[in-house]
Amino acid sequence: MLYIKCPHCGLRSQNEFSYGGDATVKRPELNKEVSDQNWDNFVYLRKSPRGKHLELWQHISGCRQWIKVERDTLTHEIFKTLKANEEL
Amino acid sequence: MTSVSALNHVYKIGLFGNHENKNEENLLKVLEIKNLLIVQIVQYKNSTISFENIDIDNLKLKNEPMSVVSNSNTRILWNGPKNWLLISTKKDLLKDISKVFKETDFAVTDLSHSRAIIEIEGPDAIEVLKKGCPFNFNILEKNKSINSTYNGIAFTVDMLDDNPNKIRLFALRSFGESFYHSITDASLEFGYRAL
Repeated sequence: MLYIKCPHCGLRSQNEFSYGGDATVKRPELNKEVSDQNWDNFVYLRKSPRGKHLELWQHISGCRQWIKVERDTLTHEIFKTLKANEEL
Repeated sequence: MTSVSALNHVYKIGLFGNHENKNEENLLKVLEIKNLLIVQIVQYKNSTISFENIDIDNLKLKNEPMSVVSNSNTRILWNGPKNWLLISTKKDLLKDISKVFKETDFAVTDLSHSRAIIEIEGPDAIEVLKKGCPFNFNILEKNKSINSTYNGIAFTVDMLDDNPNKIRLFALRSFGESFYHSITDASLEFGYRAL
């Protein structure tokens, strides 16, 4: 079981969290032309890195906040957790 | 309209589990709590007003993890950033709350009907929680609260007292009966009296 340090609540079990996907994906800018290819990439294209990965998690059974987690997908080591509006 | 409590169909008074030859004082006590006012207060993200000066039943909101501010009637539990759960025996407090918190800055929701509330008391109360919840209860002191899961059911723990342990548990009403079964199953080992 993983233990994730929620930046709001502190160290909590993974059971309280819900995985939310890649945190590095940026939505195409609003009110600007987006090509089908770029939109398709934004919606579907994801990397599957073996190593450090910045992820979104939601503390669904705790404070209900979205957070960012820098985690190693190979070892499951968690390096850093951030509030959703913070950058690495 | 008659109000039916959340655990009306499952809650039975009596002695259960491994209670024989045990001192009644040390036995776990389980109790369903009814008729509490439960209000969720959330400050909108774009709101800039200060909540520190707002007074409800002589209590001020505190935006600090796990914190509980309380008096003899009312407890305000930190639920998340700028998100609180107010629990009170004063049912008419809702009018004051609606006046104090402006609609433009706060979402105030009456959740009184939507929670099943169980109070457990006794030296083994923490052991019962440890059986189904992954939280480290060694750090949960008196007047602290957390949200977590108990056997997969989301619940709120409010530590009323730590000597002896007296803990109030809130679960969604629709999960109330399953939650009650989970808690009482875990209590059988210690023996409990449902009051």
